[in-house]
Amino acid sequence: MTTVDEAWSQLVAVAMLGTDRRNPPQPVGVIADLVDDTVRATPSERMLAQVAATVAVRRAGVVPGPVRPPVAGPDPDARPVCIPAAVDRWHHVIASWPVLEDEWVLTVIGNGWRVPPELAPTILIRHRNDPIRRARVELACGPLASWLVGHLPDLAARGTAGSAPDPRSEEIAELPALPIPPDLEAMLYADGERVARQLAGAIDSGALVHAHRAVLVNLVARMRPDSLRAVAAALDAIDGGAIGFPLASVLADLARTRERMLDELRPN
Amino acid sequence: MTRWSTEQVEAIAPSAAALSAARPLTTVAAWGGLGADDRAVWGSCRGSGAEPYDTMVDHVGVVTRCTCPSRRRPCKHALALLLLWSVGDVPDAAPPPGVVAWLAARERGSSRQTTPRAADTPDGRPDDASEPSTVDGCGRDTTAESDRADSDRADSDRSESDHDAADRDRARDERVARMHAGLIELDRWLDDRMRTGLADPALARYSTWDELAARLVDAQAGSLANRIRRLAGLVGASPDWHSDVLAELGLLHLLAQAGRRLGSLPGSLADAVATTVGWQVRQADVLAGVPDTDTWIVAGRSDTREDRIEVRRHWLRGETSERWALVLSFAAYRQSLDTSLTVGTAVAADIHRYPGPALRALVGARHGDPIDPARPPAVDLASACDGVGSMLAAEPWLDRVPFTATAALAAVGSQFALTDDTGSLPLIAGGTPLATLLAVAGGDPVDVTCEWTPHGVVPLAIHLDDRSIDIGPRADDSFVAAS
Repeated sequence: MTTVDEAWSQLVAVAMLGTDRRNPPQPVGVIADLVDDTVRATPSERMLAQVAATVAVRRAGVVPGPVRPPVAGPDPDARPVCIPAAVDRWHHVIASWPVLEDEWVLTVIGNGWRVPPELAPTILIRHRNDPIRRARVELACGPLASWLVGHLPDLAARGTAGSAPDPRSEEIAELPALPIPPDLEAMLYADGERVARQLAGAIDSGALVHAHRAVLVNLVARMRPDSLRAVAAALDAIDGGAIGFPLASVLADLARTRERMLDELRPN
Repeated sequence: MTRWSTEQVEAIAPSAAALSAARPLTTVAAWGGLGADDRAVWGSCRGSGAEPYDTMVDHVGVVTRCTCPSRRRPCKHALALLLLWSVGDVPDAAPPPGVVAWLAARERGSSRQTTPRAADTPDGRPDDASEPSTVDGCGRDTTAESDRADSDRADSDRSESDHDAADRDRARDERVARMHAGLIELDRWLDDRMRTGLADPALARYSTWDELAARLVDAQAGSLANRIRRLAGLVGASPDWHSDVLAELGLLHLLAQAGRRLGSLPGSLADAVATTVGWQVRQADVLAGVPDTDTWIVAGRSDTREDRIEVRRHWLRGETSERWALVLSFAAYRQSLDTSLTVGTAVAADIHRYPGPALRALVGARHGDPIDPARPPAVDLASACDGVGSMLAAEPWLDRVPFTATAALAAVGSQFALTDDTGSLPLIAGGTPLATLLAVAGGDPVDVTCEWTPHGVVPLAIHLDDRSIDIGPRADDSFVAAS
């Protein structure tokens, strides 16, 4: 007896040529039961009826294909997955404060966390070109990274990033330097209250203005973590009508984001 | 006031070109004096002329008016106005005097009109002269009409409601006749395809399909027109495209035949066929139906671009009823999609289903805050196929059917499949969604909500104990606006 799939193959072959050149096959089995009671004058009408009936039968009879062996999983990684809030923070960081991303990844590695599996493809795709950053995210993802690349070559590093440096290399372990003018450098290492007073005072008085935004962002991204809360509070305290208020708001958001980011990734 | 859906606006467009022309005008900046109430929507569009075009639409009677010189019915300004309204960009307001006068004139005009419309032509196709009463001409002189209506009104002894009912009946009859004629033409076209074969070079030309789709839009069979346009994209798209196209032609034949025999079909099947062919059902009528109240788990989401519209599907699963429901939202360029439903949450709500055994539904009243996390029950792949097959047996033309299964991933050459002890189903995902599924599953089974399609299975969401991960196809951010 002709199976429905064989009948379908015959119909496709006829449909390629057209019923002007070849007659449709005689319906058999369940398809014949469906179309035999219809009065169809022309070959093309009979063909359409058979096609419609066969499609309906094939769809209603959808069944799984053969059982297949599942893929073998990646090597185990004993490190805990970082908390969902940290993943949300990473999304916020890359959307609003990409200057913090290097620190996020290095903190994950340094504090013994690993990137959750659902974030691994995104972060691997994001860092396909830069060899240093690629090496960092592969460390943060653990054995899952090479396992994924093995199955999905599209996730592999490109160009020079394909020959990533030794993971023990100092380049990988250290944050990249950001340009900060010498007269602001002292604020990198001063205690929080003092930095907060200086920074908020300079912005409030107009000594530091929007033109200094880039270097001030660098300053907040690299200042001592224990200064961040005081700096955010001092910047928040600037009057809404002051000329420096928009700049202060932006920097306060950066300080808060960095403080929370580091808090979420505290050592496990 | 119930706004139209974008799909309903598309359904009254005279052609795809008219919709395309309307799109650039679907920004609030192009309009002045926008407003809407429960009867009409209006605004002034700054066009190429010295004066803005005053556009108004009676969205209850489905009649448009515009001062532009276009002879299209409805014009691009009316379509753009409706599209803006359909996505909530037109504020509620009291109608200005011009709109009040127009609506009043229409009311009087409908009481006056007692003469039957021109009869259908012998072949069942409505005469060109007898445009459906549902869509009025643009730029009509309403002043003269209202004067005549005033003088005739005293002679009329029939109540307005009788006339309204008669108008609605006539409009419905005309629409049925147009749709019937469109389905006859579609079947004739399908018959030609069978005769000349799929190797016919004409099939490779988009115009072959687009012209048919345009005629189906004219015949008020907008859903079939969309199907035809999607079908055009299958030609040459894969090594098996002949089989894919032939299957779709068979389903179109099924719908064309069933659509012409609605009266002899069982009630729910007739409803399903009618809505699949393109019969529009007002949201108000759907929302007036008996609600299906349950705790609805948002099991998956998928976005697809259809022509120039982004379509978002939310698949809901009833916790008690164990039935699926589909909630659609639409966005034209720079418009927003529905973000009120989050995958992996549940909401206690009334669902109002469209007529027939349809999956499609509207969310009515919500009875509380979303529950987070929530996950739908999962079955093995054989049971999932049983469920899919049952839904396809009832409605073979369904393009997508949801299921949630517990399965692992298997590599099949360069592709992947879901697999368990009962079999396997090929995946058609790629890129980040597939990589995410692979990364989360590793080598273990996971609960995953998918859409069955004739071409393979699309994974939409992975359900873990503490959360769900939405991996469904997502709309291009540069096309849709952020909500």
